[in-house]
Amino acid sequence: MNVIRLFSLELVRLVRSRTTWLVVLLTALSPAAGLGFYQPAVSTTMNTLYLANPAMAGGAAGGILFSLLTIFELDRLRRSRADLLTDAVVSPLTTALARLLALLAVAGLTVALTLLGWFPVSMVRIGSVFDGGDYALAYLLLMGLALPLSVLAGGCAYQVTCRRELSIVLFAAFAALSLTVWAGNWQLCWLNPCVWALSDDFSNFRIFRSVAWMRLTWLAALAGMWGFSWLCIRRYGKGALGSLARSARRIYRPIIALALLACAGTAYAAQPFLDHSNPDLTVMSFYELPDVEGVAALRCSAKVFPDTDAGTVTGRACYQFENTSGQARTLSFGINPGYTVSRVQANGVDAPFTVSAYQEYNEARLEVTIPAQTRVEVSVAYSGFPQESLPTMQGINELSADYLCLENSALLPRPMNVRSREGGCRTVVEITLPASMTAIPFSTSEAAVVAEREDGAKIWRYEEKGMGSILYAGDYVRQDIEAGGITIQFYYARKHQAIMEQAGAADAVKAVVDYCVRHYGLPAAFGTSGRLKLIQSRVRSSGYAVDGASLLDEEDFTAANLADVEKGGGAGEVMIHELVHQWWGLGRMFDLDDPTSPWSAEGLTVYTTYRIVKELYGEAYAREHYIGQWKQAVDDYYLNFYVRHPAYLELLPEGERLGISNNLSGMRWYSEMPLKILKAEELVGGEAAMDRILYELFQREPDPMYPYLTYEDFLTACGLTEEELELG
Amino acid sequence: MGKIYRYECRRLLWNQFFAGLTVVLLLYGALVLRGVTILGVSHTAPFSPWSFGDYLSRMLPLLWLGALTLLSFFTSPKARRAEVLTAAASMSPRRYALARCLAALTGTALLALLCLGQAALFYGWYFGWYGWGSLAFPTLVTLVPPLVFAMGSGWLLGKLRPWLLYAWMPAPFVCGLLPLPEAMGLWNGSFFIRYPLTLERLDPAFSAPVSVLLVQCGLLAAGIGLLAHSPVKAVAERR
Repeated sequence: MNVIRLFSLELVRLVRSRTTWLVVLLTALSPAAGLGFYQPAVSTTMNTLYLANPAMAGGAAGGILFSLLTIFELDRLRRSRADLLTDAVVSPLTTALARLLALLAVAGLTVALTLLGWFPVSMVRIGSVFDGGDYALAYLLLMGLALPLSVLAGGCAYQVTCRRELSIVLFAAFAALSLTVWAGNWQLCWLNPCVWALSDDFSNFRIFRSVAWMRLTWLAALAGMWGFSWLCIRRYGKGALGSLARSARRIYRPIIALALLACAGTAYAAQPFLDHSNPDLTVMSFYELPDVEGVAALRCSAKVFPDTDAGTVTGRACYQFENTSGQARTLSFGINPGYTVSRVQANGVDAPFTVSAYQEYNEARLEVTIPAQTRVEVSVAYSGFPQESLPTMQGINELSADYLCLENSALLPRPMNVRSREGGCRTVVEITLPASMTAIPFSTSEAAVVAEREDGAKIWRYEEKGMGSILYAGDYVRQDIEAGGITIQFYYARKHQAIMEQAGAADAVKAVVDYCVRHYGLPAAFGTSGRLKLIQSRVRSSGYAVDGASLLDEEDFTAANLADVEKGGGAGEVMIHELVHQWWGLGRMFDLDDPTSPWSAEGLTVYTTYRIVKELYGEAYAREHYIGQWKQAVDDYYLNFYVRHPAYLELLPEGERLGISNNLSGMRWYSEMPLKILKAEELVGGEAAMDRILYELFQREPDPMYPYLTYEDFLTACGLTEEELELG
Repeated sequence: MGKIYRYECRRLLWNQFFAGLTVVLLLYGALVLRGVTILGVSHTAPFSPWSFGDYLSRMLPLLWLGALTLLSFFTSPKARRAEVLTAAASMSPRRYALARCLAALTGTALLALLCLGQAALFYGWYFGWYGWGSLAFPTLVTLVPPLVFAMGSGWLLGKLRPWLLYAWMPAPFVCGLLPLPEAMGLWNGSFFIRYPLTLERLDPAFSAPVSVLLVQCGLLAAGIGLLAHSPVKAVAERR
């Protein structure tokens, strides 16, 4: 009987089994656990909450269920002692192969049913930012591929041991390793991929590629191991080794298994996604390189060609140097470790160069020797996949037709030990992007389209001060807003347009900038050009600002966050809250080292939001939606069981304890501290007096060694003590 | 009768549906305990009768569903076909029906005990708290009347039409969505959240207003009445 005939028989038998359907049903239902019980991805974007977490929960639970099904199915004949009969009719190797294929087919069917079943749920929960492509990829990669891996692992364990209980224990240990010890290692966590966030507004190809690589690596490894275990299937009354020796006589069998294992090993070692940056973040040797004597940079330019389908970058950077030393010099450039430098020329002649194996802060060191000529033009040709350095936060270097973020050495090699000539060096960047993308330099510069290709792609050009650049590009909507005496260029994802318009984003920006500039002044980071770009970035769990540009994390503008009543009375007010963070949080930073302290950027941000809302909608509205809610939350806080009996909180396991304390500290940040600031406002003599104090605090030159605004600073500025602000 | 009871128990409890139901119940219970009960309701401790009652209210829809699923073993078309044979046996149909009813009650009680055991384990493990005596009254008031009513009404509906049993399964889920009056607060769990706040003192002992107790007693009486009525009707039908 051939494998195909046996496979169809096995498949029909499996489909008729109630146990199979129970496993299929439980697996299809298991994504529900990701909605509340098992949430490995920590971000709060809608796709993370309602797609990544359910899919990963489904993958973990489904994987375990399918491995159990596999073990029970493989043990079924032995348990009923019918194996003696079947082995006499069909080779046990053929039976095992057919059974594996049937189990894989059932796994495929389960994934298809899960995809269909959860489609409407995800679509409703995720809302207007739902994307069918993301949905399918998330379920196929985060959940779907866990099932064949588990089938292979379960089958492998059983075929080697031939004992059901032992196989379950072995599989449990293997799964537990993935769920615990290997959970932070993106290549080893075979059951639960290392995904921390999925973007709502932009693409997620970078993180999906990484998960697919991990899955395929394990698929090759487990298929190879399964191949060896297959050869161990007991034949002719021999043991595992005897059967292996017998079955391996057909030499192609062990060769295929070995080849699969070799593929897995190669894929593991040669992964293209993460660099090997020094994990010790206190070491900054690249920033401590002394400048080369007698060499100054005059001008940089780069032509960059991102391949948005493959996620790679090809570029050619040219640098003009003035070498007055009269000697050949070795210059260092920082370059993304994922890039391969194919050619370096100095004044049109090939120049010797090396790329260091040592990497630091997502950069490798490219060393180029330039000749002893006064004017030297160095050109560097580079290409490759921009690597990242944080394995647990992959996806920041997304590169697709939807979104692109190329920062510093990922855009062009960064001269590390060369100073600029007097008057500064300028960098000119030309980048070719798909028609739908808008190039946004993260600075005061403006990019303009200088040419259009036949395929619709546009060539953007811009000029920067200094020797480097940060570039964002994507399918953005731009709104220009005049506020506070400056022009705000507000860039947000086209996909988020409905939510932004519903939340009154432009009005919120205007209200916030008008109010904050009037009361606190302009943050130094915004520069003095009279223009500020506010750019919504792909989820990255942080923001930053430079002269003329500031980043807004998309996580702050999700529909769920905009409905958070702790932050404001409606979506528009939450938008105001998030924008106020440009002053309190980014313009002035806060130290969050003490999790028990109610002092954070949120206190002043919520207070400022309240003041803006009071100006916009009147005192009665602000009192009801802000002060009233703060008081209610503070009252609830002091009545909370764990606040009254902290000993019980200490008894809880760490995960639960942290969850509850974070919940409580959130209340202290968002409600208790604003109330304290309100009390301080009364004690210092009213709103005008408090505005003066906050203005001074905001404008004060920060200490570069500890640039944070502390509670002590606030109390000193108010002339109050901590006790005076205690809420009665 | 003992032999039939044991046989029916084995039929109801020793199968993959009961195992699956148990797994789902335990998983959902863990979810509720770790996600909701651990926070405590209405400023009370997680192990207060109020928080525990809230946990039971959240588990009740699944227990209701479990009880009706067990009854479906007796009311399915397949079981009805087999009834022709069992009715021909020399045993009294009333006793036979009673044995089946007891087996279904046993299964339901086992599911409820699983929930209670899981909570006890949670309280002991997380808080080192073992004062289970204080939880007996909320358990009786919350679980017994609706589950007995589920058995009685389910038995009656299943005998009328097998599909009615399935239509009856979402009833507690619907109750959870409805703004029920205060006296019916135990049916959707709102009682455990709202009532302690009206007592105007911290960590109040468990108590329930007369109206709530009357509603629960009425539910219990209705359940018992339906249970008593259904086997008699079954006997009459066979005769």
